[in-house]
Amino acid sequence: MKDLKFFLILFKPYQNWLLAGILLSIITTLGGIALLTVSGWFITSSAIAGVTVVNDLAASFNYMQPAAEIRALAIVRTLGRYGERIITHEATFRVLAQVRIWFFAQIIPLATGRLALLRSGDLLAGMTSDIDALDGLYLRLIAPVTVAVFGLSAVLLFIYQYSAVIALNTLILLFIASVIVPLIFNRLGNDGAKAIVSLTANFKTQQIEILQGLRDLVTFQAYERFKNKALRVSDRLIETQRGNNRLTALSSAITLFISQLSLLLTVILAAAALQQGEMSATDAALLVFCVLAAFELITPLAPAMQMLGKLQQAAQHIREVATLPPTIVETQTPLSLPKNFDLALENLSFRYEGQNEWLIENLSLTIPQGSKIAIVGNSGMGKTSLLHLLLRFFDPQQGQLLLNGANYQQFNSDELLSCFGLLSQRSQLFATTIRGNLLIGKADATDAELNAAIAAAGLESFIQKLPDGLETWVGEQGLKVSGGEARRIALARVYLKNAPIILLDEPTEGLDAKTEEDVLAALEMIAKDKTLIMVTHRSAGLKLVNEVYQLKAAGLSKLPSIPEKLEQVLLYSD
Amino acid sequence: MPETSSANKTAFEERRTREKYCQHWLKTQKKTVSKLINYAAFAGICNGLLLLLQAALLAFILHSLLIEKQSLFANLNQLNFQLNTFFSGLLAAQIPYNLPENVLLPAIFFLFLVMMLRSCTVYLFQTTGFEAAARIKTRLRQELVNKLIHLEPNYLKQHQSGELAATLLEQIEALEPFFSRYCAQQTIIAVLPLLMIACVMPINWVAGVIFLIAFPLVIFFMAVIGISAAVASRNQFLAMARMGGYFLDRLQGLPTLKLFGQAQRELAHITYVADDFRGTTMKVLRIAFLSSTVLEFFSALGVAAIAVYVGLGLLGKIEFGPAKHITLQQALFVLFIAPEFFMPLRQLAVFYHDRAAALGAADLILKVMDAPTLSFPQTNLTDFKKLPDLSLELQNVSKKYGERTVLSAINLQIQALEKIALVGESGAGKTTLLKLMLGLETASEGMVLLKGLPVNPDFASANITWIGQGASIFYGSISDNISLFNPDYSAEMIQTAAEKAGVSEFSKNFPEGLATLVGERGYGLSGGQIQRIALARAFLKNVPIVLLDEPTSHLDEQNKLLLLDVIDALFKDKTLLIASHDPAVIARMSRQIVIENGRLL
Repeated sequence: MKDLKFFLILFKPYQNWLLAGILLSIITTLGGIALLTVSGWFITSSAIAGVTVVNDLAASFNYMQPAAEIRALAIVRTLGRYGERIITHEATFRVLAQVRIWFFAQIIPLATGRLALLRSGDLLAGMTSDIDALDGLYLRLIAPVTVAVFGLSAVLLFIYQYSAVIALNTLILLFIASVIVPLIFNRLGNDGAKAIVSLTANFKTQQIEILQGLRDLVTFQAYERFKNKALRVSDRLIETQRGNNRLTALSSAITLFISQLSLLLTVILAAAALQQGEMSATDAALLVFCVLAAFELITPLAPAMQMLGKLQQAAQHIREVATLPPTIVETQTPLSLPKNFDLALENLSFRYEGQNEWLIENLSLTIPQGSKIAIVGNSGMGKTSLLHLLLRFFDPQQGQLLLNGANYQQFNSDELLSCFGLLSQRSQLFATTIRGNLLIGKADATDAELNAAIAAAGLESFIQKLPDGLETWVGEQGLKVSGGEARRIALARVYLKNAPIILLDEPTEGLDAKTEEDVLAALEMIAKDKTLIMVTHRSAGLKLVNEVYQLKAAGLSKLPSIPEKLEQVLLYSD
Repeated sequence: MPETSSANKTAFEERRTREKYCQHWLKTQKKTVSKLINYAAFAGICNGLLLLLQAALLAFILHSLLIEKQSLFANLNQLNFQLNTFFSGLLAAQIPYNLPENVLLPAIFFLFLVMMLRSCTVYLFQTTGFEAAARIKTRLRQELVNKLIHLEPNYLKQHQSGELAATLLEQIEALEPFFSRYCAQQTIIAVLPLLMIACVMPINWVAGVIFLIAFPLVIFFMAVIGISAAVASRNQFLAMARMGGYFLDRLQGLPTLKLFGQAQRELAHITYVADDFRGTTMKVLRIAFLSSTVLEFFSALGVAAIAVYVGLGLLGKIEFGPAKHITLQQALFVLFIAPEFFMPLRQLAVFYHDRAAALGAADLILKVMDAPTLSFPQTNLTDFKKLPDLSLELQNVSKKYGERTVLSAINLQIQALEKIALVGESGAGKTTLLKLMLGLETASEGMVLLKGLPVNPDFASANITWIGQGASIFYGSISDNISLFNPDYSAEMIQTAAEKAGVSEFSKNFPEGLATLVGERGYGLSGGQIQRIALARAFLKNVPIVLLDEPTSHLDEQNKLLLLDVIDALFKDKTLLIASHDPAVIARMSRQIVIENGRLL
């Protein structure tokens, strides 16, 4: 509940939209109820007037007014429905945008350190569906519940004027039907729902295990066994879902039955009142139709109750992620960036949260401005973590990193990042034009700068071949760019950023020989007057550097010369 | 965001073709459970018919009470008593004896029964629908899991395991509402309105005609609006698709944005795009919502027209049609029916997004279903026993991934019991060569023969065992990981394998020895320990050919030598091929095959 409330407060700037939507919804619903009620009353009155004194009363019965009312209500109902749908959706879109922007702002400080720890791809994809689920908070929970509360109050007050007993009967039965019954069955389904969550997770883990170990399973003729094991989990999942579905079905059946019972009791109670002379025939008909029409108010309540659990889960999940602590703490009084970009690592020790053993232990290294070094090592030795420390995604537990003699922690982390240009094996392309993708490197780059970057990255012929050139859309809804071209675009970004320190993380991994050669040549040119730090386990990039350091479990050691065949060095190292 | 109209058109056409394809697939799926869907629809139709009965009973009761002035209770003093007996009578399932002659009480009792039956149909509709969906879910999971094993390794590499697992799980779940209720509801709207009209006609043909005209009109207008909305969304299609994916795209790219100092700037842009998206979407929705408005309009108009017509008829103000002879009972009946007449259509509108969700899920499921698979020649396993000892033969084999040639024109013969080192730099094609022998990949050109017959995964796995780089550990005990849950291996056999491969050496230090749980949620193992478990696995399998891929990488000198001794001992009487560029390994083998840039030297 706390989490849902939090989002309600976030919705506040749009409360007028939200309220307007609810108000229109109430008017529409009440319009529909009134339409049926007046109609029922009208034909009963007409019948009685027609039967009793054919001429006198029929003549005196003003049939013009109710007939006009009926027409007016039909119009209110129709227009109201349209307006209500427009306003509630407009409100939902606004609110959803607000939540997205809030979430993005919350998550900015968590990039990149915290996100790197969380397997961010899956996490963020899940996040958007959770945020999308929140559109139900207003549309499927708050709006129908508010409409039901106010609408029912109005209807019950109306009934109360004719018969307190019928009002009470309707109130109690409809409350039981629409609130108590769904709640009881939700509670009954609780264990099943939990079992479904754990079976689902179980099935997913088994699937991932199968997919990741597929080759072993195939060659060891074990695939059938693992497959059947997973399918048995699926069967159990469906069996549990079946049980819960029965409960839901039973719940809807009982809800329907109890609400119908309120109608039946209204008829009986009205008959009694009629017989005792406490109520006129026309009023009795009016009440029966009113109760019948009021069912419309409670129909969305049972789904709303089911929605509640899902929404709570989504809201909780979003807040959990958004309130994670960043991996670094920003200083309140940052130094401004120096003119000199000498780097030094002093007695650095680092491990990730929850690890017992140091990943990097007591590591020291000075990297004067303009030096060009490579750090090599087998995978798992902490090369990438060292890069992350250089970019201050994390702070080391012991020792310090220095920029021009000042501790990293004295700078603002964003400003610190502006000193580094990173090219890694993952080239993130955004769903925008090629120009937009390049401008990530420098938002206000001129055409001349863009052209220089394109030339430097060897993208000219690629772009020339595209009919829309730089304006070609990239990504899911556009051009599929190959890995090599993506790397070149990322390279052009690094060129545009023009940062004093170039970091390379396996920059040519996964590229064909020609592209590798081009990228390395371009990097040599780009990094000419800059500091260059490369981590790699391949020989290809080593021609860019003057010094090679090897990262081993024992620590960092400088190699006597630049090795021809890095694989041989690494193989005999550990 | 600039979108040219031609790009928009292509994108839209592509999507429409795909949607049609998905729709067709959903239809074929639906056919497999049509019986259950029809049962569910039948329950829904029964509900509608019972509703007609309920309306008739209510109209009868009200008519008797209001016009005939019949009383429900014989004596007012008996009121309390009557109510008591009425309910206790129901509970005891018997009608009290001392009730006076009264037509209304049986009618009320009957009404009560009808209400109960309606609840039953609601229950049946939901449970039968569930069964329909459950069958499809079970079958699709089976089909997909069977498909996984044949997928091209390259496809698997490009898709994260989590993403594929989600297809098997969430996307298949997302199909449920479509099969459990939407399909049945489609049948209901085709039948129920006609039945309702047929019931109303004999009672008041004017009301019947009103329904008869309104129904096709509603469908017509909804179709027209649907088409207009589609046109509106077609013009905006590409823009909407791009804006819709914007948030996730930028969220996933956040580390890059931050690296380039663009995160805050992007935040402002997200606001702008969200506004734009809302504006564009609302433009389409303003048209699309007319569809529910039309439904509402005809529904309200139906009630209003019928109320005014029968009301004025009862007053004797109009003489058209059956107005003159109308009774309150008839009038009430048609008025009760009026709002219910459009109910099935309204319900379908409520379920409408089930269809959209199913189409989305079908798209992703079909992507896996239609993913490229490896195909191998059929090998007749009964023949191979007669064949000579020649174990493995590659005839002019080449392997290309797209443009990239990994292996070219490989000719190689391996005799039984040979001990071979396959030498080459990383990236030279060693692993690919092993995979071809195992039937994990297909050759682009040439033939891979095992005992003289073309290789396929079944045939290969019956004769070859293999330890790749980074063997997989599954959640379970160490024993389970050695036997891979094969019940044919006895505990003793597993124990022996564990000892010979040096697993026992480290497992004895574990809390529960070989029964210690390892894997994702279990005890963490080092690379060397995993290697040994893999060796035990290979030993236990006991087949004539053993392929090892870089077994000594990630090991220090001492452990490496120990491992090589184990390998020598374990596979003395097997054909052994080790891919490695480690001189210590090469020295121990009797034959060397050198591979460089995809060619044998």
